Amino acid sequence: MSELINTTPTRDAGEGKQPVDRRDFLKKAGIVSAAGAVGAAAVYSGWNFQQKKPNHNMVTVRTPDNKLIEVPRDSIKTFKPILSELQKRGREGLKGKRWVMVIDLAKCRNARKCIQGCQTAHHLRPNQYHINTLTMQATENTPAYFMPKPCQHCDNPPCVSVCPVNATFKRQDGIVLIDNERCIGCRFCMAACPYSARIFNWEEPLQDNGYQEKIVAYEKALAAGDEATIDKLKYEVEYNVELNVPQKKGTVSKCLFSADRLREGKLPYCVSSCPNGVYWYGDQNEDSVTNGTTKETTRLTTLLEEKGAFQLMPELGTKPRVYYLPPKDRQFKFEDDRKPEGEA
Amino acid sequence: MLKRYFAAITILATLSQAKAEEWVVPADKAKKVSPFAFTPESKKAGEALYKANCMSCHGMPGKNNAIPLVPPPPDLAGTVAQSLEDGEFFYKITEGRGPMPSFKNSLSANDIWNIISYLRSFNDKYVQEVARKITREGITEGNIQILFKLIKENKQLQAEVMNTTAEGKKPIEGAAVKLFAKRYFGNLPIDEERETDASGMVAFDFPKDLPGDSTGMVHLSAKLVDEDAFGEVKSDTVFAIGAPTCKPALNEQRAMWNVVQKAPLWILFTYTIGVLTIWGIIFYILLQIRKIYILGKNKEILGE
Repeated sequence: MSELINTTPTRDAGEGKQPVDRRDFLKKAGIVSAAGAVGAAAVYSGWNFQQKKPNHNMVTVRTPDNKLIEVPRDSIKTFKPILSELQKRGREGLKGKRWVMVIDLAKCRNARKCIQGCQTAHHLRPNQYHINTLTMQATENTPAYFMPKPCQHCDNPPCVSVCPVNATFKRQDGIVLIDNERCIGCRFCMAACPYSARIFNWEEPLQDNGYQEKIVAYEKALAAGDEATIDKLKYEVEYNVELNVPQKKGTVSKCLFSADRLREGKLPYCVSSCPNGVYWYGDQNEDSVTNGTTKETTRLTTLLEEKGAFQLMPELGTKPRVYYLPPKDRQFKFEDDRKPEGEA
Repeated sequence: MLKRYFAAITILATLSQAKAEEWVVPADKAKKVSPFAFTPESKKAGEALYKANCMSCHGMPGKNNAIPLVPPPPDLAGTVAQSLEDGEFFYKITEGRGPMPSFKNSLSANDIWNIISYLRSFNDKYVQEVARKITREGITEGNIQILFKLIKENKQLQAEVMNTTAEGKKPIEGAAVKLFAKRYFGNLPIDEERETDASGMVAFDFPKDLPGDSTGMVHLSAKLVDEDAFGEVKSDTVFAIGAPTCKPALNEQRAMWNVVQKAPLWILFTYTIGVLTIWGIIFYILLQIRKIYILGKNKEILGE
């Protein structure tokens, strides 16, 4: 064996350079790796010593309720945010689903419960709409009707195409979401959307008092290392891309088809808030939609066929996921006693 | 004088009532009564349900603050509403009519009776009539079961309703059965409501195109409609009776709006070529500069 090694010709032999044979190389490599191992062991034991050493240096920290307290330095723990986890599942979406919404214009009488449900859930100000009921009238002699208009969650979304930072994206279940941690507030998407479905957070978001209290409780639990409370509150307090809460000033927001509720098997906030049976919601792959008010389930294709459904601006090729049923056979009179926007 | 005043009021009341089209409840349904006695607990449960489901239109009972719709939603603590029988109340809530939604899919019978219990608490004169235990021949004892059988050729689903007692198995005749397919948000009714024959059998036609999961599996659930007579009898099963669905994810195709990995090929191609060309030119220029430098050096050597 050793003879074999010795007789192996070396590459540089004969060129006047120092020949490097395998034995020499192995010797040098052995020394280097041994030295490396010793060094690494020294560094590791040093680090280990530092970790274990009780450090009673006191640090002054400010609590969420604005008190300065002194805590030992070694009782400080690094907090690993769950942000990435929520964002990861928020980007993936629900497998095998194709969400679809059907809005029955014959039933809408502008109760505005959908808007309220939505605004409460997503921390919106009263003048910010993810969904709004518009008063529609094509010409003077054609009847007026109310039209709730959420984001259409297009299958060919122009808003996503124009986003320069990949903040808005389309998921496998068809929902178009915005990650406001990535959003730079350029508002290209607002310009691109033909349905004007997107809004901009010009002001600090309106958070209900319950949310602020939760944040305080969460931060206290973090300081105290109360795992049970942390686990309970973390999903309610951390930024959830499927709820877009907390909203962030200087970013764009829009209807999310209540992606957080769908994950729990519940109907969206607007759909379940409606008292008039306007909304049908379901999975196109199952060919079924469920009414938010009556909880009645029906075949999607049959409903669209029988009521003569239509979509908004199909000529643009955006392929919306929201269908409308025409406002015929209405059981109430159209009454618009609202003041124009801004006068309320 | 007072008499005349009351007469006028009565006439006015009847006139205003006549304006709205009469909502007649079938006699047998109107006779239905609550299976349990109303208690403060049932009233409390009913209040929560009322606030969640009814208040947005009817307002709070007795406050006359219903929203102004046409026809107006009546104040349910009012004399008109309170003159209804319990069964009529129950029917109107379950079935709905026009703008009044049907609650048969969203509220259970117990929930609805709880709401009625709450509404009756606004009527001091109300005396409740509670249902006697309804007995029907052969079903007071034993264990009622629904057994499924799939007939693949014509996509028919048979269900057998049997009552197992100490004396053995006995089919139940004339029981109405409803079949549902489980969907993500609710139960989709399959076929019509059907009654069992003398052998306790009932057959449902399954739609040929109803999607199941990727292997065509559909979760089915059958129940007996007449809960008063049979109690809550339900049975679940899974059959490969649906059309297999394996639609691709909606973000799978290459498109302008998709992530970089799924950008259209022409974009990837043009972009790559573009980048390579520009860098190629830069490298070419650098190479030429190097050549000039070497040429200069060689000249220096030659010059020496």
